[in-house]
Amino acid sequence: MRNSRILGVGRYLPPRVVTNDDLQQYMETNDEWIQQRTGIRQRHFIDRDLGASDLAVAAVEQALANAGLTKDAIDCIIFATLSPDVDMPASACLLQEKLGIPGIPAFDVRNQCSGFLYSLAIADKFIKTGVYEHVLIVGAEVHSTGVDLSTRGREVAVLFGDGAGAAVVGPEPDSQRGVLVTRLHADGKFAEKLWLESPGSRARPRLDIDVMRDPRASIFPQMEGRYVFKHAATRMPEVIREALDAVGMLPSDISLLIPHQANIRINQAAAASLGIAEERVVHNIDRCGNTTAGSIPIALSETLDAGRIQPGDLVCLAGFGAGFTWGAILIRW
Amino acid sequence: MGTAIASVGHFLPPMVEHHGVLRPIAVDPIGPSTLAARATEAALARAGLNATDIDFIIFATTTPDVTFPGAGVFLQHQLGCGTIGVLDVRAQCAGFLYGLAIADPFLRSGAYERILLAGGEVHSSGLDDSEAGAATARLFGDGAGVALLVRAEESALLGIDIHADGRHHREFWCEHPASRQFPTRITEDDIRAGKHFPKLDLEALRTTGAISISQSMRTAMERADLGLADIDHFIVSHVIPEVADEALADLGVEASRATIPARRFGHIMAGALPIALSEQLEAGTLAPGARVCLAAAGAGFAWGAAVIQL
Repeated sequence: MRNSRILGVGRYLPPRVVTNDDLQQYMETNDEWIQQRTGIRQRHFIDRDLGASDLAVAAVEQALANAGLTKDAIDCIIFATLSPDVDMPASACLLQEKLGIPGIPAFDVRNQCSGFLYSLAIADKFIKTGVYEHVLIVGAEVHSTGVDLSTRGREVAVLFGDGAGAAVVGPEPDSQRGVLVTRLHADGKFAEKLWLESPGSRARPRLDIDVMRDPRASIFPQMEGRYVFKHAATRMPEVIREALDAVGMLPSDISLLIPHQANIRINQAAAASLGIAEERVVHNIDRCGNTTAGSIPIALSETLDAGRIQPGDLVCLAGFGAGFTWGAILIRW
Repeated sequence: MGTAIASVGHFLPPMVEHHGVLRPIAVDPIGPSTLAARATEAALARAGLNATDIDFIIFATTTPDVTFPGAGVFLQHQLGCGTIGVLDVRAQCAGFLYGLAIADPFLRSGAYERILLAGGEVHSSGLDDSEAGAATARLFGDGAGVALLVRAEESALLGIDIHADGRHHREFWCEHPASRQFPTRITEDDIRAGKHFPKLDLEALRTTGAISISQSMRTAMERADLGLADIDHFIVSHVIPEVADEALADLGVEASRATIPARRFGHIMAGALPIALSEQLEAGTLAPGARVCLAAAGAGFAWGAAVIQL
């Protein structure tokens, strides 16, 4: 069975930059508090009607160019998002229309911060078993239209940014290269520790004016930060070790760790527990905030553009987030 | 190596009168994960397996319990299957077929041994129950079905074919909440305008539905290297039952050899196919070894077909 590899990566961040100071127009907060707890200095927000699929188009064009392919080479679209353009159907279908490639399968993966990892794992298996030759995977979010930009919602609202990343995945004949191992996990026991309750089909009616005015603010994402931090700092190194064990490697073999960007303190704690030096860990949360499914491909694209990844490097992608869901993927570049 | 179907299960809430028709309708606070948990218990019992034997979950739904996380993690927690991976897939009416297409390479490549594939919906909590909305609301039902898929020497997924064409996404959609709407994805005005209810362009759906379903069934049978006479039963899911009739007529399949789930319990997007499959097995109208052609088309516009051996 052949391996898969990432042939090209691209990203797009909407041009409007919102600094921590800028957030003061919406809420009581301050730059020092946000930076100290999260490492975030600024994030990008859309400034007009734009959906996750709109942001994805530019990222896909860049990924295709970097892969040396045209859109007609794509056999399947996998779109990871928790902030789809519309409630239904999948953002993958809207992206497909914008790219002008009707007919091929297109679906969304709804796995929050682990969405890109789950999507890459699916693409890897599709390529490995010869189902497809080129799979487009996208992680894109427009959070800014769905967070509570008031003092009440600041604990969550300051964390998130809008943005898109994309990768084209194709075959790798060398069994020692490309995607070496994928490991995915979840634990629904903690589903309500980081969630967006409404609208939800289990409530009747799932959405009306009363739900909009719900004093619990269930129409906005809610988070118990302590839980998320504690579990993320444990689960990320654990799943990275599991992936390394599966291929008989050690943390010291990792050339570069590209973690999901939720909180710089989580990533520092995870890297420290694995003994991975700071200079081998990629951070961009200071500039982008948390772009959920977009964070890993955006960071990967930046890292490649900066020339920080060389052929033969062992790259580890890892993430943890709502669900809880988490995972790790090792790629020999 | 390939994918075998160890067992299937389904759960439908009680039938009640809903806009003049009998439909399975869930009650508060039941989401698709709870319906799927009941369906899974039935499937596990049939297969003689435990929840802890499952090593990956794929949940296809368009109506998750909450906006996020997906329905899959809620199902995982109800079943008590530890910290296995859980994937939520959104492919609307073709969700179960997409789930099969995703599960198969995971099993064939040896990543997993046993995958629980669930398709379930609670549509009723999100429909316009006013007089103006009744014509649409009466089309839908609630329910869930599951298949326990196992890695096996011989594949029981004999042929599969999936597609999408996003140019038609406005023909069967629910626009809001819409993250693309600046600066707020849903407002009270949007709700007053009913933009949070699904909208169907029935005429457009009739045009795309029958052709896509019959073509995809032909492709799936070709891939299985089987002809019409080799198939024991056809299950065709479309929100408009007559579109399924038309697709079957186009292929030359007699009505007696086919089930059209929407005619029995209303349209249950990702749930219709596994529910109908499980019902037939339970009723004894399908037996182990039977070859079944499954097909669906709907929102997205996404569609597909598969030939499986029970």
